[in-house]
Amino acid sequence: MNRRLAFVLTVVMLLSCFAVSVPAMAEGTTIRVALWDYSNTEYYKTMINGFKEANPGIDVEIIEFSAAEYSDTIVVKMAAEEDYDVIFMKGLPEMAALINGGRLMSLNELAEGYDFAPYGGTEKSLEVNGELYGLPFRKDNNLIFYNKDLFDAAGVEYPTDGMTFDEYIDLAKEMTSGEGADKVYGTHVHTWASNVYMYPRFVEEYVYNDASTWDALIPYYEAILELQEEGCIQNYGSLKSGNIHYSGVFYKQEAAMMQIGTWYINMLLENVPNEDEGIASFNWGVCSVPNNYGITTENVVGGITPVAIGAYAKHPDEAWAFLTYITGAEGAQVLARTGIVPAWAGQEVLDIFDSFHDEHPNAPEGLSKYISGSNFIVEQPMDENGKAIVAVGDEMHSAIMTGSMSIEEAIAEYKEKAIAAGASQGE
Amino acid sequence: MTTELTGRKRPGAKLHLKRTLVAYTFILPNFIGYMVLTFVPIVLSFVYSLSEWNLGVSKSFVGITNFRYMLFEDLDFWQVVWNTFYYTIGTVPICLILSLLLAILMNQRMKGKVFFRSVFFFPYVASLVAVAVVWMALFNPDKGPVNEALRSIGVKDPPGWAGTAEWAMPTVIGLTIWKQTGYYMVVYLAALQGVPTELYEAARMDGANAFQRFLHVTWPMVTPTTFFVSMMLIIGTFKSYDIMYVTTQGGPGTATKVLAYHIYNNAFVYMKFGYASALSVFLFFVVLLITLIQFRGEKRFTNYL
Repeated sequence: MNRRLAFVLTVVMLLSCFAVSVPAMAEGTTIRVALWDYSNTEYYKTMINGFKEANPGIDVEIIEFSAAEYSDTIVVKMAAEEDYDVIFMKGLPEMAALINGGRLMSLNELAEGYDFAPYGGTEKSLEVNGELYGLPFRKDNNLIFYNKDLFDAAGVEYPTDGMTFDEYIDLAKEMTSGEGADKVYGTHVHTWASNVYMYPRFVEEYVYNDASTWDALIPYYEAILELQEEGCIQNYGSLKSGNIHYSGVFYKQEAAMMQIGTWYINMLLENVPNEDEGIASFNWGVCSVPNNYGITTENVVGGITPVAIGAYAKHPDEAWAFLTYITGAEGAQVLARTGIVPAWAGQEVLDIFDSFHDEHPNAPEGLSKYISGSNFIVEQPMDENGKAIVAVGDEMHSAIMTGSMSIEEAIAEYKEKAIAAGASQGE
Repeated sequence: MTTELTGRKRPGAKLHLKRTLVAYTFILPNFIGYMVLTFVPIVLSFVYSLSEWNLGVSKSFVGITNFRYMLFEDLDFWQVVWNTFYYTIGTVPICLILSLLLAILMNQRMKGKVFFRSVFFFPYVASLVAVAVVWMALFNPDKGPVNEALRSIGVKDPPGWAGTAEWAMPTVIGLTIWKQTGYYMVVYLAALQGVPTELYEAARMDGANAFQRFLHVTWPMVTPTTFFVSMMLIIGTFKSYDIMYVTTQGGPGTATKVLAYHIYNNAFVYMKFGYASALSVFLFFVVLLITLIQFRGEKRFTNYL
């Protein structure tokens, strides 16, 4: 009795080990799309529904991963030769890792005759050795966001395009006021390394994968540490250990300014005002990143969110149709309406950004000029060692911002680590 | 055993064979899982440690290059090893002593014993992420209640806890102790309840006071448990990285970057699976060595009875 039961159990368990799930038979083709945050992002659903309507024989299967681990997960998944047709990526460092591992399909053949003009050259940063590996889906550039109401109340003039970095620091000091719960910080420096390195990157004096440019960070770290010591920005250690998201700091009007990417336009449109969350309405504006060369909106620094076709894709042609739909005119307009900047930058998209003020009177007019700079500087150009070098830079950032090391000491030491991780040492 | 299996002439051999097979079939499902998911990967990681592999299509054999790089060129390696020992040495003794003290306390006749036991056990069963968030909020340098309290009793410049290089590790150690002590308290409680009451009675007759009773009865009687607890704690702290992952991400700088975290980074962030495997092999031997030393020690020190 016992033996028979044990035998049956064993057989059942063995069978279940080798059981293969039989895929449901469907008519037409189904493409598998890997992405993050699908369930809580409305525009993905709008776009995919639009795509299905435009392409009746193609169905879309979503494979969703958590946002925080996506970059690491997707690389590991592709190493296991998953047959994802379409792969969304957060940025170029993980794309480089995938290309380097041979996990993405070259699009050169599929893209023959395709019109790249509306991408404004951003697709060039997705090429390696003349092979194109993706289409640019979103592009984000960094701006200074400011709270007009706080400036009005303090009787201080708004920040302007082309102000110098020193003017920006002085403005942050001037706008700091109050104590305790009423404290308003002059500006907000989030915990990312990019909240500092964006300034020298904007004038192309710094790039993460060339260690010889890292010294350019020194004056910016000095100024920002000074703001931190004088209490004009929230303390890095406190933000980090409290895991404080930058969005709430600005929504709650705790800071007069903040340097962050254009995706924040979408967040502000959706969340200010928001009665349920207790967020009152306020007027906000944007200006270009401060610098000492008088550059205004012609330069834009930011990241590209690429979308690619997997090396083990079963339906590359359908995947290409999907790519061109979501990164083309149709997809771009869906994105733009939410306040997210698509890489496809036709007039339709610019018009949408200029119209936000009509629907949301607290948003500024003429937003389009801040997203259409002619000189798009890629924040982190593709590098096969990109992920490792970025990690070194992040570590250095935390060492400096917590005062664990002096700025010069940290930069000298971490330059060595960056070179060991594969960064170049200049020409 | 083999002779019994093959010696057909012996009476009862057939029955024995059947029984053994039945026993094996019970073990089999778990054994297959262990082989496929644990043992094979361990063996593979030894193989990978001699190769260079970025999770890409090609792998190349590089001999001991990874180990040479680890010992002589990796700018973080020795710092990370030091951090691991710091973390272990900071955590294990305090956790051990605290859990024993709590167990002795919980073993007394007192009101609300069950309530307190649950309270101390709670951090262990609670989710690490939740416990970590609470701990980090308590020790927030600006707004945390701990620093508020310190300021109110006149400490002008309280520590920046996880926000500074020198206090980050103690903060993480504190969290680990808070989370783990409850579990080992229960282990010690079981051991204490196994100490025969006659021994205490005899000691009392001989005029031993409470401390002497602890020193000469309780402590010797629970040494096997102490060895077990210290071994579990040491192995646990050596391979832990989850606590750092959810609190400090190894920072500030490299202040809380431990060996297991370094392995994770090299594998899943830097894509250096060969090198990460080499680091794992190093960790494997360190833990093996410590375990062997402890087994030796256990034989020498726990043979009272």
